[in-house]
Amino acid sequence: MPFLISFLLFTSYQIVGDEPNAWPNILGSIGMTPGNGNMVVIPAGAQAPVGVWLKKIEDGALVILEGASPLAEELGIHATAKKIHVRSLTDVNRPQLPILWERPLELPVFELPARAHIFTTERWEKAPLVAGVRRGKGAVLWLGASVGKLGYERFPYLTQALGELGVTPPFRSSRLWAFFDTSYRQRADVDYLARRWRKTGIAALHVAAWHHYDPDSEKDEYLTRLIEACHRNAILVYAWLELPHVSESFWIKHPEWREKTAIGQDAHLDWRKLMNLANPDCAKAVAEGVRGLMARHDWDGVNLAELYYESLEGVANPARFTPMNDIVRAQFKSDKGFDPLELFGARTGDSAARKIFLDYRAEMARQMQEQWLGEMAAIRKSKPHLDLVLTHVDDRFDPRMRDLIGADAARVLPQLEKQDFTFLIEDPATVWNLGPQRYPQIAERYKPLTARQSKLAIDINIVERYQDVYPTKQQTGVELFQLVHTAARAFPRVALYFENSIGPEDVPWVGSAAASVTRCETVGTKTVVDSPYGVGIPWEGSAVVNGKLWPVRSNTTLWLPAGPVVAEHSSQDTVFRVLDFNGQLRTASVAGKAVEISYQQSWRAIAVLDRQPTSVEVDGLKEKPVFVKRDDGAFVLTLPSGQHLVSLQ
Amino acid sequence: MILAENFVTTETLLVRAMKLLRHSSIKIGYFIALAMAALGAEKQVADRAYDELRVKQYDAAITLFRQAIAETPGQIGLWKDLAYTLLKTGENEAARDAFGEAMKLQPSDTHVAMEYAFLAYETGRKPEARRIFDRIRKNTPDLQQQKTAEQAFQNIDQPLAEGIARWSQALAASPDNFSAHQELAQLAEERDELALAGEHFLAAWKLKPGYRGLLVSRGRVLKALGQTEQAMASLLAASRGAEPHSAEKARELLPKRYPFVYEFRQALELDPGNVELHREIAYLLLAMNQRAEAEKEFEIVAAQTPDDLLSRAQLGFLLLERGARSEAMPHLNLVMEKEDGELADRVRMALKLPQTLRRRTERPLSQTALEAKQLAQTSYEKGFMKDALKYLKIANENDPVDFDVMLRLAWVNNILKDDAEAIKWFALARQSPDEKIVSEATKAFRNLSATESSNRTTFWTMPMFSSRWKNLFDYSQLKTEFKLGGLPVRPYFSARFIGDARGSGQTVPGVNPQYFSESSVIFGMGLATQVKHGLMGWFEAGTSVRYRNRNDVALAVSDYRGGLSFARSWRGPMRQSFLETDDDAIFISRFQNDGIFYSQNRIGYRVVESEETLGSQASLFWNFNLTADARRQSWANFFETGPGLRFRTTGMPASMSVTTSFLRGSYLLPGYPGGKPNFFDLRIGLWYAISH
Repeated sequence: MPFLISFLLFTSYQIVGDEPNAWPNILGSIGMTPGNGNMVVIPAGAQAPVGVWLKKIEDGALVILEGASPLAEELGIHATAKKIHVRSLTDVNRPQLPILWERPLELPVFELPARAHIFTTERWEKAPLVAGVRRGKGAVLWLGASVGKLGYERFPYLTQALGELGVTPPFRSSRLWAFFDTSYRQRADVDYLARRWRKTGIAALHVAAWHHYDPDSEKDEYLTRLIEACHRNAILVYAWLELPHVSESFWIKHPEWREKTAIGQDAHLDWRKLMNLANPDCAKAVAEGVRGLMARHDWDGVNLAELYYESLEGVANPARFTPMNDIVRAQFKSDKGFDPLELFGARTGDSAARKIFLDYRAEMARQMQEQWLGEMAAIRKSKPHLDLVLTHVDDRFDPRMRDLIGADAARVLPQLEKQDFTFLIEDPATVWNLGPQRYPQIAERYKPLTARQSKLAIDINIVERYQDVYPTKQQTGVELFQLVHTAARAFPRVALYFENSIGPEDVPWVGSAAASVTRCETVGTKTVVDSPYGVGIPWEGSAVVNGKLWPVRSNTTLWLPAGPVVAEHSSQDTVFRVLDFNGQLRTASVAGKAVEISYQQSWRAIAVLDRQPTSVEVDGLKEKPVFVKRDDGAFVLTLPSGQHLVSLQ
Repeated sequence: MILAENFVTTETLLVRAMKLLRHSSIKIGYFIALAMAALGAEKQVADRAYDELRVKQYDAAITLFRQAIAETPGQIGLWKDLAYTLLKTGENEAARDAFGEAMKLQPSDTHVAMEYAFLAYETGRKPEARRIFDRIRKNTPDLQQQKTAEQAFQNIDQPLAEGIARWSQALAASPDNFSAHQELAQLAEERDELALAGEHFLAAWKLKPGYRGLLVSRGRVLKALGQTEQAMASLLAASRGAEPHSAEKARELLPKRYPFVYEFRQALELDPGNVELHREIAYLLLAMNQRAEAEKEFEIVAAQTPDDLLSRAQLGFLLLERGARSEAMPHLNLVMEKEDGELADRVRMALKLPQTLRRRTERPLSQTALEAKQLAQTSYEKGFMKDALKYLKIANENDPVDFDVMLRLAWVNNILKDDAEAIKWFALARQSPDEKIVSEATKAFRNLSATESSNRTTFWTMPMFSSRWKNLFDYSQLKTEFKLGGLPVRPYFSARFIGDARGSGQTVPGVNPQYFSESSVIFGMGLATQVKHGLMGWFEAGTSVRYRNRNDVALAVSDYRGGLSFARSWRGPMRQSFLETDDDAIFISRFQNDGIFYSQNRIGYRVVESEETLGSQASLFWNFNLTADARRQSWANFFETGPGLRFRTTGMPASMSVTTSFLRGSYLLPGYPGGKPNFFDLRIGLWYAISH
């Protein structure tokens, strides 16, 4: 429970002085914009007349202060003569999480007023480093040191601290994708999870489908419940495949089809047990299994992920190098005249030979991807609503990927001209230590490869990184929000690996970080918002958008379409409300007792309505859809993919 | 995705094992809810938790369960139902910990132990899960549980065994395969094959010595094996020089105490390239005064990190200290070349070279200085003198030529009784271009340096003309005092002159003439206390030698005198009005061991103080003087009052002033000198003092 209850809205901020440090990065990552807001940052060294600022705080301002200053002193924040070496921190949001600074600082131990709420302390001496102090109607967020150059290298949970002081996210996006491995949450209530995911801003869940490859009544029943719960909460569900890993049982049943490494072992690498898809019998069996998997459940799409070879160590580690099965070796030998196994024996160090095989391998990967995209296209014929995603590691920003694992985006991206799928670019593990600015750079490198930029997406891996990274091994708090925010501005779609990596402390902020807004200002009673993909803003009561009564809003959020819009409060209410909509909303209007919405989407759309309509028309044709009633009384309506106009009466 | 946990490979089998437990869990919760409801009102919080659970409001239920547990922490049922509710929200780690608490309360509850083990496995604590399942499968009498535990144990153990075999085989093919060593070590640790794990963590680390996180892992397994010394060596090496995450993990595993020298040595045997270890042991040896060994370590540090100027300087000092100047100089010269701060100054000092003056001009520094000055002022006003000192030092560091800061530093040090430091700052402040600062600093410097120096010689003289006696009197003293460490008293040698121009008044035959003064030079040695709050005590013994022919005293007589002196002045607003008092209670042996009390008081107003010609001053005041003695001698008991003027001009030395007073006096006892009880006296005197 927040120690300060505040209903003040902080949507913009001011920074005193000429040296803003990294505050624009921090506050911008949750959608805050520079302006004349009531939140003010006074960085260390900035001149701030004590009397003036005390009054502003008492009148309701939220002031962020760094280090020692006359204002801090006046607030009872006193730097003692004792100094400590600060490197390791503890934060109330996750007390067990190691937080480490790359470069330690010598800082004074501060004495704080008794009423201060301490958020972060030095780990060993327990000296306070981040705290909140209430004063009059306002509050102060105090930091014992500057935030640094990047904004996330010292204090990961500044956003959460601001939240405790009454700050709420200014925008909401519900367009994120997330990966989900059912084995992590088997005993969880799927309805509870689905509600939480939607609150996080998740639009589609990519569910680890290899656990469900073989029919199993109990597991199938669980998956059905999960998909239904997601649909009830306007979340689409994709079958996430990790071919050439098929399933545990497939591995056990078919040892003869197992992939081999360069030392002749079965390719059981990390958690994946790789099969030889170059074997036609194996490929045929897998295709059949996948068709069954897709048929048994109400999937909204399928994600072919990481469909290439191993490993990130490339030829340097023969114990992890694939493919080295007999079929591939024989084919290559027949084509190029030598057994690729010689690269680890007689031809070790022969760079020309190595290049020949690595090129051949990259081409095999392309063929394999094309083949499986074709398999999915075949499944789509019977299920035309199915969306298709190809998750592919980036090899443009880190070009070593082509030789290491055979991933070559330039070979596969031309497929976008033949098939409609989303190309989901995965951050290679080798660059997980780099900052958020890598995403615009990655986006830039894909521009020459395809004209279909709207079909590109980026996957952020939120995992413990093997590199020396600071302040936390796994991205959280400010670093996570900066990653998501920067990625959301660089790509039309952002996916998170995986949903279980997002801690409860980050959940309320991720959706805001994912919102991409280019302009937001208040002009009189009107709010002007411009966003490339649509956005939600905190809202209570009826609204008029672009001069028309607007029906797409929940009790707390007004959902706006892409492009510049003007919203203002209205005394008139709509007959229906679309509480939530998973789709690319274009227009919405109210005509008498009817509500009309138009959208465009490559996959199914889901609308959540506050009451059940008596009549539904899609593109002027009457439909008899099946409504699903939720526990809270709302009704869920699934709509077809494509561009449509829906009229609800 | 590449890093997905490998436990999913055995997930199906685990799920089947868990089915045996699952169905009973919520029933237990409801049973406990009913039982608790029966227990009465004090269980209200728990009741509410179960109410929330029934309507699937898990977050609210969790909060209430935690509250209920805080009230009755020994209730195993509450812990279990908290765990089950946490599982509903997908918070597996928290659920595991809740089962862990329940397990502590009732270790014999195999059901809870199994739940804990399943969750330990799911949340990455594979070795712990494996051990619990192993214990249960071997010990439980319940056949169903035994079967479940056996299955779960095999689900964990078998892949580990297979993995170990697979990577051992890979190593047989390529023994220098780093990732094979690493994988094998990790699997072995998870399977409690700790010796094997230790061996391969070490082998992996030797292939990539920069990966000191592997030393943490090795230290951990060796510690578990009881190989304390080897574990210590690994952890100590990892705690120094490793990247901070690994160093921090190592620190957690190290004992709280500081390592011994032999432990540093063992760590260096393991990790001889660890320059941080060399550096730390070097300073440790230095602190232990093992200078030769410290020198060797600093040599290693200097060779491995040539840019570590501090270590280079330290090595240079050590070499210089033992007379190896030619060996020291390359290190010290490098420090002086590359560093322009305190370190270079220390080197110059050691080499007896002049230090350099620096001024840092970056704008942020001056900003910092300004802020620090403000903070210092606030601290000063609030009485936080130590903090004021700290901020002033920061201000000085950031703007070393701010003489105002120097002056403040001097005063704060003075208040904090560090007069040696205060003198240093007053001396620096005297170089200010601001005359006011110069004046204040100079005055304070003189006063303080005089009191602080080991010996001080002062001379003062006060010639004065009196219209009443039509005579010129003079009182002078030359005194050298010595400061003896921290003793509260200081010995001194003194020569006083007390005389006048006329010698004696009207002479009557057969009667000794009345002398106007002692007409003597008194040589003495004595002891004086330091002046505190204006008060000083003193006593001296000596010989009084007359310079005038007199028949009332011998040429030289013993002289003992001493007493208390009090001098204080108070300034009014704007420092223009003032009140001054000079009071002396003196014992003088030659006046028949009399005790005389003098009190001279002035209240006045400073009327002239020129800014341009600093030092030109004039004050008007009113005198109130009282003289009395113990022997009640008529000449020694009188009161005086009247106006006065004190002034000095620009040409006069700083410690010289002229005083004129027109006094009306009254004797207080009969037998007054001159035969009249009242008198007028115009006195014109000069005051001059110097000190060295």
